[in-house]
Amino acid sequence: MHYTLQFRSIREYLPLLWDAAQTTLNLSVLAIILSVIIGCGLAIMRRSQSRLARILAIAYIEVMRNTPLLVILYIVYFALPAMGLRFSSFTAALIGLTLNSAGYMAEIIRAGLVAIAHGQFEAARAQGFNPAQTYRHIILPQVFRVIYAPLGNQVIAVILASSLASAVAVEDVASWMQTVGSTSFRFFETFLVAAGVYLVLCQAVNLMRLAIGRMLFKDNGVRR
Amino acid sequence: MNHDLVSFLPLFLKAAALTVWLSWLALMIGAVAGGFVALARTSRWLPLRVLALLFVEFFRSIPILIVLFFAYFGLPVMFKIDISTFTAATLALALHATATMSEVMRAGIESVGRGQWEAAQSSGMTFAQTMRHVVGPEALRVVLPPSVGVYVATLKESSLASIIGYVELTKTGLLVRESTGGGFAPLLMLGVLYFLINYGISLAGGVLERRYNVGTKLMLAGGGQ
Repeated sequence: MHYTLQFRSIREYLPLLWDAAQTTLNLSVLAIILSVIIGCGLAIMRRSQSRLARILAIAYIEVMRNTPLLVILYIVYFALPAMGLRFSSFTAALIGLTLNSAGYMAEIIRAGLVAIAHGQFEAARAQGFNPAQTYRHIILPQVFRVIYAPLGNQVIAVILASSLASAVAVEDVASWMQTVGSTSFRFFETFLVAAGVYLVLCQAVNLMRLAIGRMLFKDNGVRR
Repeated sequence: MNHDLVSFLPLFLKAAALTVWLSWLALMIGAVAGGFVALARTSRWLPLRVLALLFVEFFRSIPILIVLFFAYFGLPVMFKIDISTFTAATLALALHATATMSEVMRAGIESVGRGQWEAAQSSGMTFAQTMRHVVGPEALRVVLPPSVGVYVATLKESSLASIIGYVELTKTGLLVRESTGGGFAPLLMLGVLYFLINYGISLAGGVLERRYNVGTKLMLAGGGQ
């Protein structure tokens, strides 16, 4: 078993890697932003007075958390066109990733809301804050502190999960590895390079999380 | 759901069994290997601790799909060996499960107070005896509930095996879809089956959690694949 590392033969594919890494990053960032927004909506629905809203939110969250992302991606990319909804690879991947991540985001945000004592709402009300003001000035800053660490986990999870977009023909880093590996036969090198890109992205998020956490809350640099 | 699909039901169920088996195997390997990695991470010898930490960080910071591609396409080229889709999938899932389970195991080991170790040692127990009779049972209480979460995650991740062509549940759904001329139903069926299996496991996990009444719930990296 002697295998000599030979990065020379994959050098010509590096410009493609740059594009691929950007695709991975774009996809992840968009999915994270969108899923935070939808997750907030779901979390608020779960605490709503309306029973129907609560049940809908719970059903959504449970379905998303118990179904593989790959299956969701296939449904969006292969099955929805049968109903007349056709998306590009990137859009389909973004939709699938967002729908999936929103389920997790909702639970993270809900946990943050649950951690806020009810007295806080009442005190804000007594001070004459309306609901929007209550959330903006009293609740959300406290919620953010609670959800900061798990939110970081989810960001990393989305970056890793974005690799499945390659299964619906998005040309991301995982897809780069497969293409370049099978044309150059330098699988170990492509593996190291692709793994390196994800590793750098994830560890960068981790470092940023530590730094921002330290800046905002003094102590909260909690790792995974 | 059309009549065609009902006739495929036995096929789906058989494939579901394969999915459960594949992920169970990966979880078991992950539990055993993860135990060793956890011990290495709590070791007194620095190089061992660093090595274990690197292993865990590496496999938690790269997608399983990347490992899977490498196992299935790379290893045969590098070592001139044949690797079946099943072996490659098990390997990739098990490596990830090992990294995750080692963190769960570590939380379990660390939840047992130092005094317990010292008491066992001073009673003349060997390391193995301490593990087996004192630390093990106590750690299990903490380890069991999050392990259920890891199993559900692994089960979902096992769908990736379909990408390299192993005919488990997801691949079966895709094949049935092809042979029935496309459409929505086979993929929807997949979603429903995965949901039923995982939701069942989650419910069982909830029962376990209540039964063991564990206060500290380990937050695992979520958004699974």
